[in-house]
Amino acid sequence: MRRVRTRERESGNGGPYSAESALGGHAPRTQRTGRSLPFSDERHLQAHHWLVEEAYLLDAQRYDEWLDLLTDDIHYLMPVRVSTALGAGFDSAPGMAHFDENKYSLSRRVARFRTEHAWTEDPPSRLRHYVTNVRTFATDDPDHVVVDSAVLLYRSRGDVREAAIVSAGREDLLRRMPGEAGWALARRTILVDDSVLRTQNLAIFL
Amino acid sequence: MTEQSHLLEDVRRGMIPAHIYNDEEVFRLERERLFSRAWVFVGHESEIPQPGDYVVRRVLEDSFIVARGEDHEVRALFNMCLHRGMQVCRAEMGNASHFRCPYHGWSYRNDGRLVGLPFHKEAYGGEAGFRRKGQTLLPAPALDTYNGLIFVSMDPDAPPLREYLGDFAFYLDYYTKQSPSGIELRGPQRWRIKANWKIGAENFAGDMYHTPQTHTSVVEIGLFREPKAEKRKDGCTYWAGNGGGTTYKLPPGTLEERLRYVGYPDVMVERMKRTWSREQLDVVGRDGFMVSAASAFPNLSFVHNWPRVEDSEDVLPFISIRTWQPVGPDETEVLSWFAVDAEAPEEFKALSYKAYLMCFGSTGMFEQDDVENWVSLTNTAAGSMARRLALNSRMGLLEDDATVVPPLSAGQFSGPGEAYVGYGEYNQRHLLRRWADYLERPASPAERIQVNGVEAAGAAGKVVRA
Repeated sequence: MRRVRTRERESGNGGPYSAESALGGHAPRTQRTGRSLPFSDERHLQAHHWLVEEAYLLDAQRYDEWLDLLTDDIHYLMPVRVSTALGAGFDSAPGMAHFDENKYSLSRRVARFRTEHAWTEDPPSRLRHYVTNVRTFATDDPDHVVVDSAVLLYRSRGDVREAAIVSAGREDLLRRMPGEAGWALARRTILVDDSVLRTQNLAIFL
Repeated sequence: MTEQSHLLEDVRRGMIPAHIYNDEEVFRLERERLFSRAWVFVGHESEIPQPGDYVVRRVLEDSFIVARGEDHEVRALFNMCLHRGMQVCRAEMGNASHFRCPYHGWSYRNDGRLVGLPFHKEAYGGEAGFRRKGQTLLPAPALDTYNGLIFVSMDPDAPPLREYLGDFAFYLDYYTKQSPSGIELRGPQRWRIKANWKIGAENFAGDMYHTPQTHTSVVEIGLFREPKAEKRKDGCTYWAGNGGGTTYKLPPGTLEERLRYVGYPDVMVERMKRTWSREQLDVVGRDGFMVSAASAFPNLSFVHNWPRVEDSEDVLPFISIRTWQPVGPDETEVLSWFAVDAEAPEEFKALSYKAYLMCFGSTGMFEQDDVENWVSLTNTAAGSMARRLALNSRMGLLEDDATVVPPLSAGQFSGPGEAYVGYGEYNQRHLLRRWADYLERPASPAERIQVNGVEAAGAAGKVVRA
């Protein structure tokens, strides 16, 4: 299996992972250009607003509404990170991810939570997605922006169990949808900061 | 051990003292008597195809560099510098000709040989003070492979792996040898769960009974072609040699039709026909059983299933290999790999990988609900009430130990070992009986290895000079 080279990684959280995934062929490849937009830029304000609203839906587990924020050609990817020597040139497990999803597989995950038998979330976790370090970038296409962010998920289950914490950087490609629909997520790369996850499963979204 | 001998007798009768799933003393015995002797899976040759490729894997606390040398040999080298005991490799994987200790700069070739010792002459007086020649990182006491699966044992006198696996090797081929090229392994996803390691091993070995309940949701969302998870009771469980597993009953048809039914394209079916023995083909083609989950004692498991990965009637089979690596009595690190036939078409590999992600592993929709149960069980097993409770693990047995259904005859099941149709806890009992056998036998002291120099005092066992 080919190792995804990260030497040439552009700045930011995106990297070559989505383009290299065997399941990423359908995904839009629009990339960032230039430096991050000023915080006063209208596009940055809209992107930041979008991320905060999304975090609310994920905290509340309102996944049907969340699914509506995703484009039909979405690639939702969370590589498996590995510790490698400095200069090894790669930092993810070759050919493996935690999530490597399209709209259909995400819709099945959401549908499962809608059943009465998704035991892992019954009782539901208490979730809090903290979103910070938001940087917005223009692209060659005025209807697309690339947004980097950091996310910290606090997941508490039951009464006395130790809570799980998942820290990650994300790169999102947001697409302006026609009419009043606003922005939608067309590509997300989640660079989790752990090699070995300290949560019983990823029955959550980041 | 007085309490333990009762415990082991209970386990052998299929009555499981609930506290074995969260007990410091039991865990100490597992460390001392089980993981010190059994063959433990650490990786697959396809993970390290080129000379210099390595992955770092653990057996309990012991870290090993599993590396392919320039001579193409696979070795497992204890990841501890011979000088001051520092880890010589702190990455999880990569390619290296040498491993250099960051502490004092001793360096080792990727076959373990010590080649660099700074100031050898000035500090040690050269070979007269410290013989560098012939020194190597400690190899795992035993290493052996089957179908490219790499196992190590901490017991230098461990029987050959093939002998240890016994007739379970017959079933291993379904997962790891669908063509002459065998599998390629990707991953692993690694995550830690607050559950005892035995629960996963038992579940994969034989628990067909949990499927209709635990996994209702994945059936409801249309991931499977069959509308009812109850179909599991038409399958059989088998135990052979040092492992056992579960199967699904396939609809009537020829061998080819049945392999196609689970989603294998013709080109893969043809290779299976050329690779598997008559008996291996008959389990599918004549008897109509297809392997699903399985475990090899003590903590290696497999799963094979065939979900829908797109909005269509087609299904795609996938294989996962995983270990339940004990961290403590109440914590396990899961290492879950995706495996696929190396000769499979690229499109099949991609969709099979997708099928794996949807069903198993850190995000798998099956696995999510399994782990929730196991964490809960482990948590409850810690207290004093659990010490009073013996869980009934006798499903499939009557009170007089007769079986509820007769075993399948050779005419009904062409695989080795003993197989029963329907729900039963035959395999969980097999697994825990083996566990009891290991826990009963006191460990002999391991031989000590010292890095030349003078004799160390107080050696408990035989001393070997490296």
